Amino acid sequence: MPAPLPDWSGIWLPDLEDQVAQIESNPLPWTASAAAEVKRLTAAEQAGHPKGLFANCLPEAMPAWMLVSHNALEILFTPGRVTMLGESDGNRLRRIYTDGRSHPADPDPSFHGHSIGHWEGETLVVDTIGVFPQTYIAISEAVGIPNNGGLHVVERIHLTGPDVLVDELAITAPKVLTATWHTTRRFKRQKGANADILEGVCLQGSFAEQTDARGDAVFTPVPHTDEGNPVPPPAP
Amino acid sequence: MTRVLSALAVATLATARLLAHHSSAMYDQQKTLMLRGVVTQVRWTSPHVNVSVLTDAGRAEPGVAWVLEATSPGNLMRAGWTRTSIRVGDRVSVVVAPLRDGTHGGWCRGLTLEASGKKLEC
Repeated sequence: MPAPLPDWSGIWLPDLEDQVAQIESNPLPWTASAAAEVKRLTAAEQAGHPKGLFANCLPEAMPAWMLVSHNALEILFTPGRVTMLGESDGNRLRRIYTDGRSHPADPDPSFHGHSIGHWEGETLVVDTIGVFPQTYIAISEAVGIPNNGGLHVVERIHLTGPDVLVDELAITAPKVLTATWHTTRRFKRQKGANADILEGVCLQGSFAEQTDARGDAVFTPVPHTDEGNPVPPPAP
Repeated sequence: MTRVLSALAVATLATARLLAHHSSAMYDQQKTLMLRGVVTQVRWTSPHVNVSVLTDAGRAEPGVAWVLEATSPGNLMRAGWTRTSIRVGDRVSVVVAPLRDGTHGGWCRGLTLEASGKKLEC
């Protein structure tokens, strides 16, 4: 009889202060080329001109979702699988197979990769490959470098207290990192009245709910300036 | 004229895209402004909530339409908001971190409904 699974119910909010502290105290072993680009992007962000890594509404993807997300996630256990669902952009979904399968020999590239996991006591160990080379290894929503291929992520996810979940990540990206980067991210549990994940569709903010000439309820693009800023409604 | 066009071109390049999912680094978090006015639009949308406010006219200047941005509906819900916490026509005072480029946009840091005095964190 397998050991009972731990209680990871509720939703998990990323510890944003810890995200920053991790980046400051545990810098990535970037290659020289990647380090130069990180320096340039960081200067641009600090000057108020962030690149906007996720402004195209493609998924934050692996590993950036785990590293820099500002939004809640929930974790579902079903037989043979652990599923992570993220809030806000609606396109955050990790399927982690715990049914004993192996990775495919040649996985189709995807934003979240092919993940297999197993339980070591109450720790979920996850191995992920098959991620698009374009997904970012990010240190903020404005500073990140595409992994450029060969990404391999191993995670050990476990509770360190009743309401603190820690993801210990080992990120190998031979095109942009000179060594495997070990880092951790913390998530705080919330349960109760405000612990439902809200639906989020990344492009929703670009559309307004309106009624067309036929009287049909429709979504129409939000007026915006050439720079992408929403235009305020006309004064009443 | 050439100088004006150049300045506009620079502003266009420098202004990050506000629609969709983005960093908030285009706002100057070292500055705070207090705006008072009337809510003209609320867009309770993912990934960022937008609130438009027409500021009160002063003796010498007209009211100004501002677009204020906040975090996601989920994060606001967990800070005590609902979709109907603020409505068009409400008088509000808002503390904002303004856009660095000087246009009338800001990151909402806190909002007070003047009728009830209720305060909401953004």
